[in-house]
Amino acid sequence: MQNLLKILLRYSNFLVFIALEVAAFLLIYANNAAPRSGMFSTANSIVAWQNGVVSGICGYFSLAAQNEQLAQENADLRNQLAASDSVLHKQAVSYTAAKVVQMTTDQFHNYLTIDKGAEDGVVRGQGVRNGDGVVGIIRTVGRKYSVVLPVINTHTNLSCRFAKNDYIGTLQWDGKDSRFAQLADVAAHMVVNPGDTIITSGLSPVFPEGIPVGIVENSMLKQGDSYHTISIRLFTNFKRLKYVEVVQNAHQKQLEELMHGLD
Amino acid sequence: MDWTKQLGRYIIIMLLQVLLFDQLQLWGACHPYIYILCLLMMPITLPHSMDMLLGAAAGIVMDVFCNSLGVHTAACILLMFIRPYLIGFIVNDKDRLNEQISLRAIGMEALVKYVVILVLIHHLIVFSLAAWSWTHMSFVLLETFVSGIITIAIIIGYNILAHK
Repeated sequence: MQNLLKILLRYSNFLVFIALEVAAFLLIYANNAAPRSGMFSTANSIVAWQNGVVSGICGYFSLAAQNEQLAQENADLRNQLAASDSVLHKQAVSYTAAKVVQMTTDQFHNYLTIDKGAEDGVVRGQGVRNGDGVVGIIRTVGRKYSVVLPVINTHTNLSCRFAKNDYIGTLQWDGKDSRFAQLADVAAHMVVNPGDTIITSGLSPVFPEGIPVGIVENSMLKQGDSYHTISIRLFTNFKRLKYVEVVQNAHQKQLEELMHGLD
Repeated sequence: MDWTKQLGRYIIIMLLQVLLFDQLQLWGACHPYIYILCLLMMPITLPHSMDMLLGAAAGIVMDVFCNSLGVHTAACILLMFIRPYLIGFIVNDKDRLNEQISLRAIGMEALVKYVVILVLIHHLIVFSLAAWSWTHMSFVLLETFVSGIITIAIIIGYNILAHK
């Protein structure tokens, strides 16, 4: 017993080291699996406030470009209004505008923080888009801020389809260039042409069907491959992202419960 | 240097880190983590386990800013674990050590060795854990090299200026 105590004391520093490292790795694992608390992320009010100050200052340097983008968005919205036919279909979905207060685009696991949180009805799993197209999915919700998992994060999987023929694929990102994502699971018999438009499939309740994602930049099919290798040029310019909209689907909870019920 | 000054330095360096260095998104591979300056330059007077706890605390704070809970924590704990062994290994003349780590206390050669080794280890761990896959290994090495050089330059520069 005394010997055991002596050994423990002798290696106490090493034991503390091992215990701390195990705790840190558990944190990494838990955070990768499902972050529950907004406190230990950029959804934390203090951290987000600081980021808001920075983006507020930096925002002045891109006012002209922002104006142009907003004007373009207005025009698009008017067009949509004129063309909107299926009123019933759209009633279930509402949009909450949010400002991007922090964002990275050059890491494998990019995130962005927006200035809307639980108080504004934001819930984990809701979709986020902007005027151009898909942005990402709400990952962590704080009281006033939320962290979004954008499509330019290697963790992302998003169900998409070709606008021309309803063929489904999965949008993923290889961690290289924030302008391009990859479309997986498209079988070899499918004809893919550069310029084909990709939209959300509506198969998951995160996004309604038909939100623009990007266009096919190029596709490759080697001899013997059973799936295409497709590069998608994203409509959303993540480097200049300032304003987004959170997609709130009134039926999302019910749909998710139904899907879980099936498992 | 007493602990109030240490804390003050930590706050200033942390502000520089999040307000300036985290905003640099220049070449995709450049993410210098200068906040470890405070950990590296802390005098080695505290118990070893206390050192590691402080490292963990600094790591968690950085993780909150990076949405990477655990990654910086793991790297900083390792950093603080290695630190006393490394300094004992590098500085032969124990009388000069005097429990302070600075240009004046240990000299340029030892300081450069100490900073280069620890910064590269820290950055390599952070970028590897963030990538979490072997397929990105070449990019992780590039990232470690580019960001590491900047961090090293800043920490050595800080030491030269502080002892003018």
